[in-house]
Amino acid sequence: MSTTTVGGSPGIGADRTKRWYRARRSLQGVSFVLPNFLGFGLLTLGPVVALFYISFTNWNVFGKAKWIGLDNFTRLFGDTSFHRALLNTLYYSAFHIPLTLAVSLGLALLLNRKLRGVAFFRTAAFFPYITSIVAIAIAWNLLFSRDAGPINQILGLFGVTDPPGWTASSDWAMPAVIIVGVWREMGYYMLLFLAGLQTVPPELHEAARIDGANAWQRFRNVTLPCLRPTTFFVTVMLTIGSFKVFDLILVMTNGGPGQSTLVLSQYIYQKGLVENRFGYASAISVVLFALCMLVTIVQFAVNRRRNA
Amino acid sequence: MRHRHPRWTAIAAAATALTLTATACGGSDEPADTGGPVTLTMSAWSLKTTPEFQKLAEAFQAQNPEVKVEFKEYDADNYDTQLTADLAAGSAPDLYVLKNLKNFITYQAGEQLLDVSDVADGLGDNVNGLGNYKVDGVTYAAPYRQDSWYLYYNKDLFTAAGVTPPSETWTWAEYEKAVADLTAGLKAAGSPAKAAYQHTWQSTVQGLALAQTPGADLGSGDYGYLAPYYERALEQQKAGSQVDYGTATTNTLQYQAQFGTQQAATMLMGSWYVATLIAQQKKGDAQSFQWGFAPAPQHDASTKDEPITFGDPTGLGVNAAIDENKVAAAKKFLTFVAGEGGATALAGIGITPATLTDPVVQAYFGVQGVPGDELSKFAFTTHDTRAENPVSPQTAALQNILQETHSAIMSESTPVDQALTQAGERARSEALTSK
Amino acid sequence: MAAPHTLADTAPPRTVDPGTENPTSNRSERRLPALGKVLGHVVLVLAAAGLLLPFFWMVSSSLKADNGVFSIPVTWFPDSPQWGNYAEIWRISDMLVWLKNTVFLSVVVTLLQLFTGSFAAYGFAKTRFPGRNLLFLLYIGTIAVPWQAYMIPQFIMMSEAGLTNTPWSIIALQAFGAFGVFLMRQYYLTIPDELCEAARVDGLSEYGIYFRIMLPLSVPALASLALLTFVTTWNDYLGPLIYLRDPDLWTIQLGLKSFVSDYNAEHALIMTGSVLSVLPIAIVFLLGQKYFVQGIATSGLKG
Repeated sequence: MSTTTVGGSPGIGADRTKRWYRARRSLQGVSFVLPNFLGFGLLTLGPVVALFYISFTNWNVFGKAKWIGLDNFTRLFGDTSFHRALLNTLYYSAFHIPLTLAVSLGLALLLNRKLRGVAFFRTAAFFPYITSIVAIAIAWNLLFSRDAGPINQILGLFGVTDPPGWTASSDWAMPAVIIVGVWREMGYYMLLFLAGLQTVPPELHEAARIDGANAWQRFRNVTLPCLRPTTFFVTVMLTIGSFKVFDLILVMTNGGPGQSTLVLSQYIYQKGLVENRFGYASAISVVLFALCMLVTIVQFAVNRRRNA
Repeated sequence: MRHRHPRWTAIAAAATALTLTATACGGSDEPADTGGPVTLTMSAWSLKTTPEFQKLAEAFQAQNPEVKVEFKEYDADNYDTQLTADLAAGSAPDLYVLKNLKNFITYQAGEQLLDVSDVADGLGDNVNGLGNYKVDGVTYAAPYRQDSWYLYYNKDLFTAAGVTPPSETWTWAEYEKAVADLTAGLKAAGSPAKAAYQHTWQSTVQGLALAQTPGADLGSGDYGYLAPYYERALEQQKAGSQVDYGTATTNTLQYQAQFGTQQAATMLMGSWYVATLIAQQKKGDAQSFQWGFAPAPQHDASTKDEPITFGDPTGLGVNAAIDENKVAAAKKFLTFVAGEGGATALAGIGITPATLTDPVVQAYFGVQGVPGDELSKFAFTTHDTRAENPVSPQTAALQNILQETHSAIMSESTPVDQALTQAGERARSEALTSK
Repeated sequence: MAAPHTLADTAPPRTVDPGTENPTSNRSERRLPALGKVLGHVVLVLAAAGLLLPFFWMVSSSLKADNGVFSIPVTWFPDSPQWGNYAEIWRISDMLVWLKNTVFLSVVVTLLQLFTGSFAAYGFAKTRFPGRNLLFLLYIGTIAVPWQAYMIPQFIMMSEAGLTNTPWSIIALQAFGAFGVFLMRQYYLTIPDELCEAARVDGLSEYGIYFRIMLPLSVPALASLALLTFVTTWNDYLGPLIYLRDPDLWTIQLGLKSFVSDYNAEHALIMTGSVLSVLPIAIVFLLGQKYFVQGIATSGLKG
């Protein structure tokens, strides 16, 4: 550790004490992180670093990885399927993130109270997340069925004469997947919001009520500020989760019809595990990673400014 | 302090890089075990419901008691992913099945397969599909089953609709007419069944188009040859002769249930379905009715003596990292499964083996439930089966593109010609230029 | 209040047939005097029905014959329910082994994640050391990398360590994830620093603060982390698929996949198994939820 930061301290002895104190606190801090970091660094960070290396090679699982510099990345520029996957991923995220955020927060507020049978409703809200994803795909596809599906029948009641083909149509497959994505994950994020809501001191609410604040004002000025760390966490996880959406698409539409729901994670899977072009797949992963980090860092910055 | 964490990551990265290079050039070195019995390990999947592996091992061991065959079980759907991981880590079995022909080239080019040309030479010309595994004059695997696609038909429904059943020499034109007649006839008879069922796979359209169209080449980047096959499929779907693609996908329809519960009078499907249908009829999952299989309809009459159809072989290869002492036993086993011995054992449980000699054909039609009519026998014994996935480093990528093309056309999202032109453009820019 | 409690407590088992669930809760609501509340509940019940519909399809399919699972039009109520599927699955498969393996993995992973995750989170939230923020960003960064891209290098590494095809591979893979660290750090940030400072002045060590103050205060977050980790491990498919080959080690998700073979799949039994595999989670959820909404965190926060 450098001592320059402690500049201006009154005497050598005090300086040393302060240094010792800081070093000890640092060491203690490190000791907290270390048990997790040992596992994390070796088992996750190591392979991730390897992935960055592989993105500059033509590794195909078997045999040596030959360094090819930026070739994979320049190829990506001209790869129309990659562009399509990138756009679809942004499309999915642009709707999935705000919708899920709103619905899960709404659910958490609604179910964070003493209400008859509230335990049942909380469980019900969490059920989509634990129901087998295969069953989800099959059941939702049935609901979306163009001619006999209940959703289109309901639309018919409201006078829609030419209902969408949903998962069997290239225009409507993505909206269908977004709907199912929100439906599936809202319970998950609701749970995180519920935990966060427990940190909102009731005294603050009480004080605001006495000051004549209505429900909306109390939500804006009491609940939301107290919930900020949780909201930040949920937003970051939700963003990364949306950019990485994979299994839901795979089982619901498998990227189709055509390439209408092809997303980045699936493209990575195709190039890597199906075609064994791991160098190229790693390069796409690096792009996906950069995208996630860019958004996360922006979120960090915004969050910091709000806190300040 | 400041450098502590970066150093950790550096160490972790170095460790990973090291293991990567170590496994890239290393093989498994089991201690030599000369003399005494040999134990071979072999990959397999769904052992409980797929009897073929046990059958092959048992038949082989009956003749070679000194060799023991043990199975390592993989997942049927994710077989190649799991196997790739095992091979990369050096923990794959001595012999492994090449389940999907389109991935064979990856193992071959990755030097994961032993040269078994001597086995191939000994097998002779009787083994269907053997040529697929030959690269630059060297054979790397031998097929033990060679499925091919037939036209399955429900005799009872043909009778009900008053339509003449298929013949050995059906062309697509005759098939189209029969489907139209069936549609009308079944409706008149008050039957809810459709004339045909076309499953959602790309193979059901593309496999036959590639095999039957003169000059069609998957690697050419020109997919115009698919157009007539797609137009036919779309027409039948519009005419209500078969369930449309959207309904089949959104309802996750199962072809076994469609044909097995008499919802469809005809269905193009691979030869594996014979064994499945017999088993389902026995168990009660399928209704009991008269059925048979005919050659797939042909492009024109010129191929009536040996109808052209398609299908990929299933091969077995020897792990390049196998212990030297086991090589002789492994090759012996390979010779057995690809030859008449293995073929007879497989035919005895209703599987279509790669070797089709007279005893094998007899064993196959001796299975209870296999339709014994002349047409089915002709379809089983006489056909020219072309590979659905011709071996090439680009095949996997091309099939991905064509799979997306298939769903775009069949869902009626993109017109046929436009979709096929796009497929060609994508093939040239994404797959055919890659090294 | 006895009636609503029984309603809540028995809800998941009875969702096996939501068709009877909804009328029941409707009837119990009618006794309530306030009309607004009744309406609110009706909306909630309808919403719950929508949420549970795919699950209901799962239950209904589990009572069909294999060839009847997919048919047009859909049958939501099978004519002759095959209750035998629920006996059959125990007889013909190793459900018990799969359940045992899955419970073991889920419990161990959850405990490790809870401990190492919250411990590290305290380091990130309440202590200072050089490179802290950068390291934290690295943690989040790994979440942003898709697993399917680096799983082969990881597999090779684990194989060198002799961990593949053992339960420890899954534990090693899941127990040190960045998710728990991130979640707990965010929660600790909501606990005022003054509280820690006061404790330090009182002579409590950092470890003391963590164990005596932070842990008790973060019960809601710990509970949700535990539940989410448990569910993730329980439902994980790709991890066990790559790492566990020996049928004796299979988890329930892997085991259910063994009903699918090349040319056929036993869909009814898959759905039977899926229903059975959801029930334990539902029970854990129902029992555990009072911990993540009990609101004990507020009492100590005034300082």
